[in-house]
Amino acid sequence: MLPPGERLLRADGLVVGYDRTPILPPLSATIGAGELWAVIGPNGSGKSTFVRTALGLVKPLGGVVERKPGARLAYVPQQSMLDAIFPISVIDFVLMGLQGPRNVSLWRAGHGLADARAALDVAGARAFERKQLRDLSGGQRQRVLIARALATDADLIFLDEPTAALDATAEHEVLELIERLRGKRGAAVVMVTHLVEDGLERADRALLLDRDRGVALAATAREIRSAPEFAHVYGRFVGRGGVDA
Amino acid sequence: MTDGAASTMGDLFANLSIFKDAIWVGGLAGALLGFIGVHIVLRRMVFASSAIAQAAALGVALSFWISAVVDPARHAAGHIAGPAAHLAPSLLFEPVLWAIAASLAATLVFIANPTHLHLTRESLLGFVFLASGAGAVIVGDKITQEAHDLNAILFGSAVVVQSMDLYLVAGATVLLLGGHVALWRALLFVGYDPMGAYVQGMPVRALNAFLFLSVGLAVALCTRALGALPVFAFSVLPAMAALALTARIGAVFVLALVLGAASGVGGYVVSFGADLPVGATQTATAVALLAAALTWRFARSRYERSARARTASAPRTDAA
Repeated sequence: MLPPGERLLRADGLVVGYDRTPILPPLSATIGAGELWAVIGPNGSGKSTFVRTALGLVKPLGGVVERKPGARLAYVPQQSMLDAIFPISVIDFVLMGLQGPRNVSLWRAGHGLADARAALDVAGARAFERKQLRDLSGGQRQRVLIARALATDADLIFLDEPTAALDATAEHEVLELIERLRGKRGAAVVMVTHLVEDGLERADRALLLDRDRGVALAATAREIRSAPEFAHVYGRFVGRGGVDA
Repeated sequence: MTDGAASTMGDLFANLSIFKDAIWVGGLAGALLGFIGVHIVLRRMVFASSAIAQAAALGVALSFWISAVVDPARHAAGHIAGPAAHLAPSLLFEPVLWAIAASLAATLVFIANPTHLHLTRESLLGFVFLASGAGAVIVGDKITQEAHDLNAILFGSAVVVQSMDLYLVAGATVLLLGGHVALWRALLFVGYDPMGAYVQGMPVRALNAFLFLSVGLAVALCTRALGALPVFAFSVLPAMAALALTARIGAVFVLALVLGAASGVGGYVVSFGADLPVGATQTATAVALLAAALTWRFARSRYERSARARTASAPRTDAA
Protein backbone atom coordinates (compact mmCIF):
# COMPACT_ATOMS: atom_id res chain seq x y z
CA MET A 1 0.00 0.00 0.00
CA LEU A 2 1.43 3.38 -1.01
CA PRO A 3 1.53 6.06 1.69
CA PRO A 4 -1.40 8.45 0.99
CA GLY A 5 -0.26 11.58 -0.81
CA GLU A 6 3.18 10.18 -1.74
CA ARG A 7 4.32 12.07 -4.84
CA LEU A 8 3.98 9.89 -7.93
CA LEU A 9 4.14 12.46 -10.71
CA ARG A 10 5.15 16.11 -10.73
CA ALA A 11 4.74 18.55 -13.60
CA ASP A 12 6.60 21.82 -13.13
CA GLY A 13 6.10 24.59 -15.67
CA LEU A 14 5.08 21.93 -18.16
CA VAL A 15 4.45 23.23 -21.67
CA VAL A 16 2.65 20.84 -24.00
CA GLY A 17 2.12 21.07 -27.75
CA TYR A 18 3.05 19.72 -31.15
CA ASP A 19 5.59 20.75 -33.78
CA ARG A 20 7.28 23.17 -31.34
CA THR A 21 3.99 25.05 -30.93
CA PRO A 22 2.64 25.27 -27.37
CA ILE A 23 -1.10 24.77 -27.11
CA LEU A 24 -1.55 25.52 -23.41
CA PRO A 25 0.01 27.88 -20.84
CA PRO A 26 2.69 26.38 -18.54
CA LEU A 27 1.16 23.96 -16.06
CA SER A 28 2.29 22.79 -12.63
CA ALA A 29 0.69 19.95 -10.70
CA THR A 30 1.65 17.16 -8.33
CA ILE A 31 -0.23 13.87 -8.34
CA GLY A 32 -0.10 11.99 -5.07
CA ALA A 33 -0.93 8.41 -4.12
CA GLY A 34 -4.62 7.72 -3.53
CA GLU A 35 -5.79 10.85 -5.37
CA LEU A 36 -8.46 10.86 -8.05
CA TRP A 37 -7.92 13.56 -10.68
CA ALA A 38 -10.43 14.65 -13.30
CA VAL A 39 -9.01 16.20 -16.46
CA ILE A 40 -11.78 18.34 -17.93
CA GLY A 41 -12.15 20.74 -20.80
CA PRO A 42 -14.06 21.15 -24.05
CA ASN A 43 -13.35 18.98 -27.10
CA GLY A 44 -9.93 19.79 -28.56
CA SER A 45 -8.86 21.57 -25.38
CA GLY A 46 -5.54 19.72 -25.08
CA LYS A 47 -6.57 16.97 -22.63
CA SER A 48 -5.15 14.14 -24.72
CA THR A 49 -1.95 16.08 -25.44
CA PHE A 50 -1.46 16.64 -21.72
CA VAL A 51 -1.98 12.95 -20.97
CA ARG A 52 0.35 11.84 -23.76
CA THR A 53 3.01 14.21 -22.48
CA ALA A 54 2.58 13.10 -18.87
CA LEU A 55 2.92 9.49 -19.99
CA GLY A 56 6.11 10.22 -21.92
CA LEU A 57 4.63 9.60 -25.37
CA VAL A 58 5.14 13.22 -26.42
CA LYS A 59 8.14 15.32 -25.42
CA PRO A 60 7.32 18.44 -23.41
CA LEU A 61 8.11 21.74 -25.10
CA GLY A 62 9.18 23.20 -21.78
CA GLY A 63 9.29 22.47 -18.07
CA VAL A 64 9.66 19.02 -16.60
CA VAL A 65 7.63 15.91 -15.86
CA GLU A 66 9.06 13.79 -13.07
CA ARG A 67 7.75 10.37 -12.18
CA LYS A 68 8.59 8.59 -8.96
CA PRO A 69 11.47 6.23 -9.79
CA GLY A 70 10.15 2.72 -10.27
CA ALA A 71 6.53 3.83 -10.28
CA ARG A 72 4.33 1.52 -12.33
CA LEU A 73 1.96 3.17 -14.79
CA ALA A 74 -1.11 1.87 -16.57
CA TYR A 75 -3.20 3.36 -19.34
CA VAL A 76 -6.84 2.57 -20.07
CA PRO A 77 -7.53 3.57 -23.69
CA GLN A 78 -10.78 4.74 -25.16
CA GLN A 79 -12.79 1.77 -26.37
CA SER A 80 -12.82 3.19 -29.87
CA MET A 81 -9.03 2.98 -29.99
CA LEU A 82 -9.09 -0.83 -29.85
CA ASP A 83 -9.40 -2.39 -33.29
CA ALA A 84 -12.30 -4.87 -33.40
CA ILE A 85 -10.55 -6.91 -36.09
CA PHE A 86 -8.29 -8.40 -33.37
CA PRO A 87 -9.79 -11.60 -31.90
CA ILE A 88 -8.84 -10.85 -28.29
CA SER A 89 -10.65 -12.72 -25.53
CA VAL A 90 -11.38 -11.00 -22.25
CA ILE A 91 -8.84 -13.13 -20.36
CA ASP A 92 -6.15 -12.53 -23.01
CA PHE A 93 -6.76 -8.79 -22.75
CA VAL A 94 -6.41 -8.77 -18.97
CA LEU A 95 -3.27 -10.93 -19.23
CA MET A 96 -1.71 -8.05 -21.22
CA GLY A 97 -1.74 -6.14 -17.96
CA LEU A 98 0.88 -8.54 -16.63
CA GLN A 99 3.30 -7.76 -19.47
CA GLY A 100 6.05 -5.23 -18.98
CA PRO A 101 9.81 -4.74 -19.15
CA ARG A 102 10.42 -7.74 -16.89
CA ASN A 103 7.89 -9.95 -18.60
CA VAL A 104 7.83 -8.94 -22.26
CA SER A 105 6.83 -12.23 -23.81
CA LEU A 106 4.48 -13.52 -21.07
CA TRP A 107 5.77 -16.91 -22.15
CA ARG A 108 4.13 -18.69 -19.22
CA ALA A 109 0.72 -17.04 -19.40
CA GLY A 110 -0.78 -19.75 -17.19
CA HIS A 111 1.15 -18.39 -14.21
CA GLY A 112 -0.70 -15.09 -14.46
CA LEU A 113 -4.19 -16.54 -14.83
CA ALA A 114 -4.96 -16.29 -11.12
CA ASP A 115 -4.00 -12.60 -11.04
CA ALA A 116 -6.00 -11.88 -14.20
CA ARG A 117 -9.08 -13.64 -12.82
CA ALA A 118 -8.77 -11.80 -9.52
CA ALA A 119 -8.77 -8.49 -11.42
CA LEU A 120 -11.83 -9.60 -13.38
CA ASP A 121 -13.55 -10.49 -10.11
CA VAL A 122 -12.95 -7.01 -8.71
CA ALA A 123 -14.25 -5.45 -11.93
CA GLY A 124 -17.32 -7.72 -11.94
CA ALA A 125 -16.33 -9.12 -15.32
CA ARG A 126 -15.30 -12.69 -14.46
CA ALA A 127 -18.47 -14.16 -16.00
CA PHE A 128 -17.38 -13.34 -19.54
CA GLU A 129 -13.67 -14.12 -19.36
CA ARG A 130 -13.88 -16.47 -22.37
CA LYS A 131 -15.88 -14.06 -24.52
CA GLN A 132 -14.38 -11.86 -27.19
CA LEU A 133 -13.79 -8.29 -26.06
CA ARG A 134 -15.38 -7.01 -29.27
CA ASP A 135 -18.62 -8.92 -28.54
CA LEU A 136 -19.28 -7.22 -25.18
CA SER A 137 -21.55 -4.25 -24.51
CA GLY A 138 -19.90 -0.87 -23.93
CA GLY A 139 -20.28 -1.07 -20.14
CA GLN A 140 -18.99 -4.65 -19.94
CA ARG A 141 -16.03 -3.78 -22.15
CA GLN A 142 -15.13 -0.77 -20.01
CA ARG A 143 -15.11 -2.97 -16.90
CA VAL A 144 -12.70 -5.34 -18.67
CA LEU A 145 -10.46 -2.42 -19.64
CA ILE A 146 -10.35 -1.35 -16.02
CA ALA A 147 -9.69 -4.96 -14.96
CA ARG A 148 -6.50 -4.87 -17.01
CA ALA A 149 -5.42 -1.74 -15.17
CA LEU A 150 -6.10 -3.57 -11.91
CA ALA A 151 -4.00 -6.51 -13.09
CA THR A 152 -1.01 -4.23 -13.75
CA ASP A 153 -0.89 -3.40 -10.05
CA ALA A 154 0.01 0.12 -11.17
CA ASP A 155 0.75 3.06 -8.88
CA LEU A 156 -0.64 5.60 -11.33
CA ILE A 157 -3.50 4.84 -13.72
CA PHE A 158 -4.60 7.08 -16.59
CA LEU A 159 -8.08 6.58 -18.06
CA ASP A 160 -9.04 8.19 -21.36
CA GLU A 161 -12.77 9.02 -21.53
CA PRO A 162 -13.86 5.87 -19.65
CA THR A 163 -17.54 6.80 -19.85
CA ALA A 164 -17.68 7.77 -23.51
CA ALA A 165 -20.64 6.24 -25.36
CA LEU A 166 -22.07 4.52 -22.25
CA ASP A 167 -25.68 4.65 -21.11
CA ALA A 168 -26.50 6.20 -17.74
CA THR A 169 -26.49 2.91 -15.82
CA ALA A 170 -23.19 1.71 -17.26
CA GLU A 171 -21.72 5.20 -16.73
CA HIS A 172 -22.60 5.06 -13.03
CA GLU A 173 -21.16 1.54 -12.64
CA VAL A 174 -17.91 2.49 -14.34
CA LEU A 175 -17.48 5.63 -12.22
CA GLU A 176 -18.03 3.52 -9.08
CA LEU A 177 -15.41 1.07 -10.29
CA ILE A 178 -12.93 3.87 -10.99
CA GLU A 179 -13.28 5.06 -7.42
CA ARG A 180 -12.45 1.52 -6.29
CA LEU A 181 -9.28 1.56 -8.43
CA ARG A 182 -7.49 3.84 -6.02
CA GLY A 183 -8.51 1.69 -3.09
CA LYS A 184 -6.19 -0.98 -4.36
CA ARG A 185 -2.63 -0.23 -3.20
CA GLY A 186 -3.55 3.41 -2.83
CA ALA A 187 -2.96 4.07 -6.52
CA ALA A 188 -3.55 7.51 -8.04
CA VAL A 189 -6.10 7.74 -10.84
CA VAL A 190 -6.16 10.39 -13.56
CA MET A 191 -9.39 10.36 -15.56
CA VAL A 192 -9.94 12.35 -18.73
CA THR A 193 -13.66 12.93 -18.88
CA HIS A 194 -16.35 14.89 -20.65
CA LEU A 195 -18.64 14.42 -17.63
CA VAL A 196 -17.73 17.65 -15.90
CA GLU A 197 -20.29 17.49 -13.07
CA ASP A 198 -19.72 13.82 -12.23
CA GLY A 199 -15.97 14.21 -12.63
CA LEU A 200 -15.74 17.14 -10.22
CA GLU A 201 -18.12 15.49 -7.78
CA ARG A 202 -16.03 12.34 -7.46
CA ALA A 203 -12.51 13.72 -7.95
CA ASP A 204 -10.26 15.14 -5.23
CA ARG A 205 -8.46 17.36 -7.68
CA ALA A 206 -8.97 18.50 -11.23
CA LEU A 207 -7.19 19.89 -14.19
CA LEU A 208 -9.13 22.38 -16.32
CA LEU A 209 -7.75 22.84 -19.82
CA ASP A 210 -8.89 24.98 -22.72
CA ARG A 211 -6.45 25.84 -25.48
CA ASP A 212 -8.82 28.34 -27.11
CA ARG A 213 -9.09 30.43 -23.93
CA GLY A 214 -5.52 29.80 -22.77
CA VAL A 215 -6.57 28.01 -19.59
CA ALA A 216 -4.45 25.38 -17.77
CA LEU A 217 -5.50 25.25 -14.13
CA ALA A 218 -4.74 22.56 -11.55
CA ALA A 219 -6.49 22.72 -8.17
CA THR A 220 -8.88 20.87 -5.90
CA ALA A 221 -12.20 19.98 -7.48
CA ARG A 222 -13.96 22.48 -5.22
CA GLU A 223 -11.54 25.28 -6.19
CA ILE A 224 -11.91 24.48 -9.86
CA ARG A 225 -15.69 24.70 -9.64
CA SER A 226 -15.53 28.17 -8.11
CA ALA A 227 -12.64 29.44 -10.25
CA PRO A 228 -13.37 32.28 -12.71
CA GLU A 229 -11.73 30.20 -15.43
CA PHE A 230 -14.36 27.48 -14.92
CA ALA A 231 -17.16 29.99 -15.38
CA HIS A 232 -15.28 31.39 -18.34
CA VAL A 233 -15.05 27.96 -20.01
CA TYR A 234 -18.42 26.52 -18.97
CA GLY A 235 -20.24 29.69 -17.92
CA ARG A 236 -23.10 29.55 -20.36
CA PHE A 237 -23.94 25.98 -19.25
CA VAL A 238 -23.76 26.50 -15.47
CA GLY A 239 -27.15 26.25 -13.84
CA ARG A 240 -28.83 24.64 -16.86
CA GLY A 241 -28.86 21.12 -15.51
CA GLY A 242 -25.27 20.10 -16.00
CA VAL A 243 -22.17 20.94 -17.93
CA ASP A 244 -21.33 17.68 -19.59
CA ALA A 245 -19.05 18.78 -22.40
CA MET B 1 -7.09 -37.68 -62.93
CA THR B 2 -6.06 -38.44 -66.50
CA ASP B 3 -3.41 -40.98 -67.40
CA GLY B 4 -1.13 -38.16 -68.38
CA ALA B 5 -1.62 -36.45 -65.08
CA ALA B 6 -1.13 -39.74 -63.23
CA SER B 7 2.15 -40.34 -64.98
CA THR B 8 3.18 -36.77 -64.19
CA MET B 9 2.46 -37.37 -60.52
CA GLY B 10 4.39 -40.59 -60.85
CA ASP B 11 7.29 -38.57 -62.21
CA LEU B 12 7.14 -36.34 -59.17
CA PHE B 13 7.48 -39.22 -56.73
CA ALA B 14 10.00 -41.08 -58.89
CA ASN B 15 12.20 -37.98 -59.01
CA LEU B 16 11.48 -36.68 -55.54
CA SER B 17 15.18 -36.16 -54.86
CA ILE B 18 15.21 -33.48 -57.59
CA PHE B 19 12.02 -31.72 -56.56
CA LYS B 20 12.10 -32.14 -52.79
CA ASP B 21 14.03 -28.90 -52.25
CA ALA B 22 11.30 -26.92 -54.01
CA ILE B 23 8.63 -28.71 -51.95
CA TRP B 24 10.51 -27.97 -48.73
CA VAL B 25 10.92 -24.31 -49.68
CA GLY B 26 7.20 -24.04 -50.44
CA GLY B 27 6.27 -25.61 -47.10
CA LEU B 28 8.75 -23.62 -45.01
CA ALA B 29 7.97 -20.31 -46.69
CA GLY B 30 4.25 -20.95 -46.33
CA ALA B 31 4.63 -21.77 -42.63
CA LEU B 32 6.89 -18.77 -41.87
CA LEU B 33 4.89 -16.24 -43.85
CA GLY B 34 1.59 -17.72 -42.65
CA PHE B 35 2.58 -17.18 -39.02
CA ILE B 36 3.98 -13.67 -39.56
CA GLY B 37 0.98 -12.90 -41.77
CA VAL B 38 -1.35 -12.88 -38.76
CA HIS B 39 0.36 -9.69 -37.57
CA ILE B 40 0.35 -8.32 -41.13
CA VAL B 41 -3.40 -8.83 -41.49
CA LEU B 42 -4.35 -7.69 -37.98
CA ARG B 43 -2.24 -4.52 -38.26
CA ARG B 44 -3.88 -3.73 -41.61
CA MET B 45 -0.55 -3.68 -43.45
CA VAL B 46 -1.50 -6.27 -46.09
CA PHE B 47 -0.07 -4.29 -48.96
CA ALA B 48 3.22 -3.82 -47.13
CA SER B 49 4.18 -7.42 -47.92
CA SER B 50 3.11 -6.95 -51.53
CA ALA B 51 5.20 -3.79 -51.88
CA ILE B 52 8.18 -5.40 -50.15
CA ALA B 53 7.94 -8.48 -52.38
CA GLN B 54 7.89 -6.22 -55.45
CA ALA B 55 10.94 -4.39 -54.10
CA ALA B 56 12.71 -7.74 -53.62
CA ALA B 57 11.92 -8.66 -57.21
CA LEU B 58 13.34 -5.33 -58.38
CA GLY B 59 16.46 -6.03 -56.32
CA VAL B 60 16.98 -9.35 -58.08
CA ALA B 61 16.40 -7.77 -61.51
CA LEU B 62 18.90 -5.04 -60.68
CA SER B 63 21.48 -7.63 -59.65
CA PHE B 64 21.20 -9.24 -63.11
CA TRP B 65 21.28 -5.95 -64.99
CA ILE B 66 24.06 -4.21 -63.06
CA SER B 67 26.33 -7.25 -63.23
CA ALA B 68 25.84 -7.25 -67.02
CA VAL B 69 26.61 -3.52 -67.24
CA VAL B 70 29.57 -3.43 -64.85
CA ASP B 71 31.29 -6.64 -65.89
CA PRO B 72 29.74 -7.86 -69.17
CA ALA B 73 32.51 -10.35 -70.03
CA ARG B 74 32.35 -12.15 -66.71
CA HIS B 75 28.56 -11.96 -66.73
CA ALA B 76 28.42 -13.62 -70.17
CA ALA B 77 30.95 -16.24 -69.10
CA GLY B 78 28.94 -16.97 -66.03
CA HIS B 79 25.80 -17.27 -68.09
CA ILE B 80 27.44 -19.80 -70.41
CA ALA B 81 28.69 -21.76 -67.40
CA GLY B 82 25.15 -22.66 -66.36
CA PRO B 83 22.20 -21.55 -64.26
CA ALA B 84 23.95 -21.61 -60.90
CA ALA B 85 26.87 -19.59 -62.21
CA HIS B 86 25.02 -17.03 -64.29
CA LEU B 87 22.93 -16.00 -61.36
CA ALA B 88 25.97 -15.04 -59.30
CA PRO B 89 29.07 -14.07 -61.28
CA SER B 90 30.41 -12.60 -58.04
CA LEU B 91 29.23 -12.22 -54.48
CA LEU B 92 28.65 -8.50 -55.10
CA PHE B 93 25.95 -9.34 -57.62
CA GLU B 94 24.39 -12.17 -55.63
CA PRO B 95 20.64 -11.73 -56.29
CA VAL B 96 19.61 -12.68 -52.77
CA LEU B 97 21.72 -9.86 -51.32
CA TRP B 98 20.08 -7.38 -53.67
CA ALA B 99 16.67 -8.77 -52.79
CA ILE B 100 17.39 -8.34 -49.07
CA ALA B 101 18.78 -4.82 -49.56
CA ALA B 102 15.78 -3.74 -51.64
CA SER B 103 13.34 -5.33 -49.18
CA LEU B 104 14.92 -3.65 -46.19
CA ALA B 105 14.91 -0.31 -48.02
CA ALA B 106 11.20 -0.78 -48.70
CA THR B 107 10.70 -1.76 -45.05
CA LEU B 108 12.37 1.46 -43.93
CA VAL B 109 9.94 3.40 -46.09
CA PHE B 110 7.14 1.55 -44.34
CA ILE B 111 8.54 2.29 -40.88
CA ALA B 112 8.97 5.99 -41.72
CA ASN B 113 6.34 8.39 -40.44
CA PRO B 114 5.13 10.36 -43.48
CA THR B 115 2.73 12.65 -41.63
CA HIS B 116 5.22 15.53 -41.88
CA LEU B 117 4.85 15.24 -45.66
CA HIS B 118 1.07 15.22 -45.23
CA LEU B 119 1.00 11.71 -46.66
CA THR B 120 -0.33 8.43 -45.32
CA ARG B 121 1.69 5.25 -44.92
CA GLU B 122 -0.59 3.57 -47.48
CA SER B 123 0.29 6.17 -50.09
CA LEU B 124 4.00 5.51 -49.51
CA LEU B 125 3.34 1.78 -49.90
CA GLY B 126 1.61 2.52 -53.20
CA PHE B 127 4.69 4.48 -54.26
CA VAL B 128 7.02 1.59 -53.35
CA PHE B 129 4.80 -0.98 -55.09
CA LEU B 130 4.46 1.00 -58.30
CA ALA B 131 8.08 2.13 -58.45
CA SER B 132 9.29 -1.42 -57.81
CA GLY B 133 6.84 -3.00 -60.26
CA ALA B 134 7.64 -0.55 -63.04
CA GLY B 135 11.36 -0.78 -62.29
CA ALA B 136 11.34 -4.59 -62.44
CA VAL B 137 9.57 -4.58 -65.81
CA ILE B 138 11.86 -1.89 -67.26
CA VAL B 139 15.02 -3.56 -66.00
CA GLY B 140 13.67 -6.90 -67.18
CA ASP B 141 13.32 -5.44 -70.66
CA LYS B 142 17.02 -4.57 -70.62
CA ILE B 143 18.16 -8.07 -69.74
CA THR B 144 17.39 -10.82 -72.18
CA GLN B 145 19.45 -13.74 -70.93
CA GLU B 146 17.80 -13.88 -67.50
CA ALA B 147 14.30 -12.89 -68.62
CA HIS B 148 13.03 -16.35 -67.71
CA ASP B 149 14.63 -16.14 -64.25
CA LEU B 150 13.08 -12.74 -63.69
CA ASN B 151 9.69 -14.05 -64.73
CA ALA B 152 10.13 -16.85 -62.20
CA ILE B 153 10.91 -14.31 -59.48
CA LEU B 154 7.91 -12.12 -60.28
CA PHE B 155 5.33 -14.88 -60.63
CA GLY B 156 6.96 -17.95 -59.11
CA SER B 157 7.19 -20.32 -62.04
CA ALA B 158 10.38 -22.09 -60.91
CA VAL B 159 9.93 -25.86 -60.69
CA VAL B 160 13.28 -26.38 -58.98
CA VAL B 161 15.09 -24.16 -56.52
CA GLN B 162 18.78 -23.84 -55.78
CA SER B 163 20.09 -25.59 -52.67
CA MET B 164 21.30 -22.25 -51.34
CA ASP B 165 17.73 -20.91 -51.46
CA LEU B 166 16.55 -23.87 -49.42
CA TYR B 167 19.27 -23.32 -46.83
CA LEU B 168 18.48 -19.61 -46.59
CA VAL B 169 14.72 -20.13 -46.31
CA ALA B 170 15.22 -22.94 -43.77
CA GLY B 171 17.60 -20.79 -41.72
CA ALA B 172 15.20 -17.85 -41.83
CA THR B 173 12.32 -20.09 -40.82
CA VAL B 174 14.17 -21.43 -37.78
CA LEU B 175 15.42 -18.02 -36.62
CA LEU B 176 12.49 -15.77 -37.48
CA LEU B 177 9.74 -18.25 -36.64
CA GLY B 178 11.51 -19.00 -33.35
CA GLY B 179 11.59 -15.29 -32.55
CA HIS B 180 7.96 -14.86 -33.51
CA VAL B 181 6.81 -17.85 -31.46
CA ALA B 182 8.66 -16.45 -28.44
CA LEU B 183 7.29 -12.94 -28.90
CA TRP B 184 3.79 -13.50 -30.27
CA ARG B 185 2.01 -12.14 -27.19
CA ALA B 186 4.31 -9.13 -27.00
CA LEU B 187 3.85 -8.30 -30.70
CA LEU B 188 0.10 -8.74 -30.32
CA PHE B 189 -0.05 -6.34 -27.35
CA VAL B 190 2.04 -3.73 -29.16
CA GLY B 191 -0.10 -4.00 -32.29
CA TYR B 192 -3.43 -3.96 -30.46
CA ASP B 193 -2.82 -1.24 -27.88
CA PRO B 194 0.49 0.52 -28.56
CA MET B 195 -0.10 3.29 -26.01
CA GLY B 196 -1.01 0.84 -23.26
CA ALA B 197 2.04 -1.26 -24.10
CA TYR B 198 4.34 1.77 -24.04
CA VAL B 199 2.98 2.98 -20.72
CA GLN B 200 3.53 -0.45 -19.17
CA GLY B 201 7.19 -0.28 -20.20
CA MET B 202 7.07 -2.66 -23.16
CA PRO B 203 9.91 -2.10 -25.67
CA VAL B 204 7.47 -0.98 -28.35
CA ARG B 205 10.02 0.36 -30.84
CA ALA B 206 12.27 -2.69 -30.57
CA LEU B 207 9.32 -5.05 -31.01
CA ASN B 208 8.01 -3.13 -34.03
CA ALA B 209 11.52 -3.05 -35.51
CA PHE B 210 11.76 -6.84 -35.07
CA LEU B 211 8.40 -7.33 -36.76
CA PHE B 212 9.11 -5.07 -39.73
CA LEU B 213 12.66 -6.35 -40.25
CA SER B 214 11.52 -9.96 -40.00
CA VAL B 215 8.81 -9.24 -42.59
CA GLY B 216 11.40 -7.62 -44.87
CA LEU B 217 13.90 -10.46 -44.47
CA ALA B 218 11.35 -13.27 -44.81
CA VAL B 219 9.75 -11.68 -47.87
CA ALA B 220 13.15 -11.06 -49.51
CA LEU B 221 14.44 -14.60 -49.03
CA CYS B 222 11.16 -16.24 -49.97
CA THR B 223 10.68 -13.99 -53.01
CA ARG B 224 14.13 -14.96 -54.30
CA ALA B 225 13.22 -18.64 -53.92
CA LEU B 226 9.53 -18.68 -54.84
CA GLY B 227 8.54 -15.43 -56.54
CA ALA B 228 6.63 -12.31 -55.51
CA LEU B 229 3.12 -13.63 -56.20
CA PRO B 230 3.10 -16.69 -53.88
CA VAL B 231 5.03 -14.76 -51.22
CA PHE B 232 2.34 -12.09 -51.13
CA ALA B 233 -0.31 -14.82 -51.05
CA PHE B 234 1.35 -16.72 -48.17
CA SER B 235 1.71 -13.58 -46.09
CA VAL B 236 -1.98 -12.71 -46.31
CA LEU B 237 -4.33 -15.57 -47.27
CA PRO B 238 -3.52 -18.24 -44.61
CA ALA B 239 -3.88 -15.65 -41.85
CA MET B 240 -7.24 -14.53 -43.28
CA ALA B 241 -8.41 -18.15 -43.43
CA ALA B 242 -7.28 -18.80 -39.85
CA LEU B 243 -9.09 -15.68 -38.62
CA ALA B 244 -12.24 -16.91 -40.38
CA LEU B 245 -11.98 -20.35 -38.77
CA THR B 246 -11.37 -19.44 -35.14
CA ALA B 247 -11.47 -16.50 -32.74
CA ARG B 248 -8.95 -18.03 -30.33
CA ILE B 249 -5.85 -15.98 -30.96
CA GLY B 250 -3.35 -18.72 -30.15
CA ALA B 251 -5.14 -21.11 -32.50
CA VAL B 252 -5.16 -18.42 -35.22
CA PHE B 253 -1.34 -18.43 -35.30
CA VAL B 254 -1.11 -22.25 -35.38
CA LEU B 255 -3.78 -22.54 -38.09
CA ALA B 256 -2.15 -19.83 -40.22
CA LEU B 257 1.16 -21.68 -40.03
CA VAL B 258 -0.43 -25.01 -41.02
CA LEU B 259 -2.53 -23.51 -43.84
CA GLY B 260 0.50 -21.63 -45.17
CA ALA B 261 2.60 -24.81 -45.24
CA ALA B 262 -0.30 -26.71 -46.84
CA SER B 263 -0.62 -24.05 -49.55
CA GLY B 264 3.10 -24.21 -50.32
CA VAL B 265 3.37 -28.01 -50.46
CA GLY B 266 -0.11 -28.70 -51.82
CA GLY B 267 0.21 -26.01 -54.47
CA TYR B 268 3.48 -27.46 -55.69
CA VAL B 269 2.11 -31.01 -55.90
CA VAL B 270 -1.05 -29.83 -57.71
CA SER B 271 0.98 -27.74 -60.15
CA PHE B 272 3.12 -30.77 -60.95
CA GLY B 273 0.15 -33.07 -61.40
CA ALA B 274 -1.88 -30.63 -63.49
CA ASP B 275 1.12 -29.15 -65.33
CA LEU B 276 0.39 -25.62 -64.09
CA PRO B 277 2.71 -22.74 -63.12
CA VAL B 278 4.01 -23.36 -59.59
CA GLY B 279 3.63 -19.90 -58.00
CA ALA B 280 0.17 -19.30 -59.44
CA THR B 281 -0.99 -22.75 -58.31
CA GLN B 282 0.39 -22.22 -54.81
CA THR B 283 -1.48 -18.91 -54.72
CA ALA B 284 -4.65 -20.57 -56.03
CA THR B 285 -4.35 -23.26 -53.36
CA ALA B 286 -4.17 -20.58 -50.65
CA VAL B 287 -7.17 -18.86 -52.26
CA ALA B 288 -9.11 -22.17 -52.28
CA LEU B 289 -8.34 -22.75 -48.59
CA LEU B 290 -9.49 -19.23 -47.77
CA ALA B 291 -12.67 -19.71 -49.82
CA ALA B 292 -13.38 -22.95 -47.93
CA ALA B 293 -12.77 -21.22 -44.59
CA LEU B 294 -15.06 -18.32 -45.48
CA THR B 295 -17.77 -20.73 -46.66
CA TRP B 296 -17.53 -22.65 -43.38
CA ARG B 297 -17.66 -19.36 -41.45
CA PHE B 298 -20.69 -18.18 -43.39
CA ALA B 299 -22.52 -21.49 -42.88
CA ARG B 300 -21.71 -21.50 -39.17
CA SER B 301 -22.92 -17.91 -38.74
CA ARG B 302 -26.21 -18.75 -40.44
CA TYR B 303 -26.64 -21.85 -38.27
CA GLU B 304 -25.93 -19.88 -35.08
CA ARG B 305 -28.35 -17.12 -36.11
CA SER B 306 -31.14 -19.60 -36.84
CA ALA B 307 -30.44 -21.45 -33.55
CA ARG B 308 -30.74 -18.15 -31.66
CA ALA B 309 -33.97 -17.34 -33.51
CA ARG B 310 -35.39 -20.79 -32.64
CA THR B 311 -34.48 -20.32 -28.97
CA ALA B 312 -36.06 -16.86 -28.92
CA SER B 313 -39.32 -18.05 -30.51
CA ALA B 314 -39.66 -21.28 -28.49
CA PRO B 315 -42.69 -21.30 -26.13
CA ARG B 316 -41.77 -20.78 -22.49
CA THR B 317 -42.42 -23.88 -20.40
CA ASP B 318 -41.70 -22.50 -16.95
CA ALA B 319 -44.83 -22.48 -14.80
CA ALA B 320 -46.04 -19.12 -13.64
